[in-house]
Amino acid sequence: MSTNPDVFMEELVGDLRPVRPLHQRIGMAWACLAVGTGAVLLSSVLVMRDDLVAGHPDPMFLTSAGLFFVLALATSWAVVDMARPWVGTRRDGWGWTALMAAVLPLAALGLVILNWAGGNRLSVDSDGQECLGIGSVIGCLTATALVLWLRRGAPSCPRRAGLLTGVASGAAGIFAVSLCCPYNDFLHIGLWHGMTVVLGGAIGRLVVPRLIRW
Amino acid sequence: MTVDEATLTHLAGLAQRGDRQAYATFLHGSRAWLLRYFRRRIMPDQIEDLVQDTLLSVHRKLASYDPSRPVVPWLAAIARYRFVDHLRIAYRNAEDALDDDFPAVAIDDEPALTARLSLDRLFEALPDAQQRAIELVKIEGLSISEASASTGQSESLVKVNIHRGLKRLAALIERA
Repeated sequence: MSTNPDVFMEELVGDLRPVRPLHQRIGMAWACLAVGTGAVLLSSVLVMRDDLVAGHPDPMFLTSAGLFFVLALATSWAVVDMARPWVGTRRDGWGWTALMAAVLPLAALGLVILNWAGGNRLSVDSDGQECLGIGSVIGCLTATALVLWLRRGAPSCPRRAGLLTGVASGAAGIFAVSLCCPYNDFLHIGLWHGMTVVLGGAIGRLVVPRLIRW
Repeated sequence: MTVDEATLTHLAGLAQRGDRQAYATFLHGSRAWLLRYFRRRIMPDQIEDLVQDTLLSVHRKLASYDPSRPVVPWLAAIARYRFVDHLRIAYRNAEDALDDDFPAVAIDDEPALTARLSLDRLFEALPDAQQRAIELVKIEGLSISEASASTGQSESLVKVNIHRGLKRLAALIERA
């Protein structure tokens, strides 16, 4: 039930406190800090990859970790920007990065299916479950930073914001795991590491919207 | 009270810094803008509630406004979000339909930016069947069966179109 408009607005004016506008660079700084903290934390608890320590990283590691890192940054950028609604904004850039990163799991899946159809069963390691679990847990740091940021802002599409928060968290988590994961195997990276991002996106889509509605 | 968009933008920046006098003028200007914005798409007796809901969101989310950009597209995004939220609340039993005599904003007289931000523009992004179902049931207050008879769609299709249409509207708030 509405109250007298003048009285209502007087109350709002009386309640006014100075606010600090949400700047994109501040939000991204928080997101990067969360991604970096996850990577440092994991590298200090687990053993970092030998080739990385020796300064001669494997090309497969560089490519996949780089893709997940860029995906984490691109989706975090979109999420941070979503806190500031504006009619006329398009935030499609993350989609191309996601598509690029999706090549890894899709190609791995295709490889498994083609071999299976040809009567040749490829074995998929089960160590990947650890990557999936640890990556998801570490990704919670990025998820927390992004959700807190979104709660300060006014995301107009909570479902999409939730999905992207989950993708960013999964990508950040698996990037941190990549620094310690000894596998250079295409199937391991494509399936298990890729699945971490997909799982993150699904959880984010389900859980985050109810945390950020306003 | 009529406040032009440039002044409204300036006032919003001052309000973020805690200037109460500027904020009072900003709220009055925003209220006038919102009344014009909503009146073609909502029953007259619902407008004041929706305007106050929107102003409350503006108040709570003032930090989400980027002072380096014009304020009206930000205000429109918040208004659209509240509007779609409002549509979700069923008011099938509302007794009053849209009052045809209620003064509507002449689109041709609107500045291009305002037309770009309008609720009509948001609705145009919907398929006709979804648009019609939402208009009849959620805005004009018809029952599902009345809307079904009016459109020739089955009752279940009317429900599906409302559900899909609202979902699509929510996804289009900043785009359309």
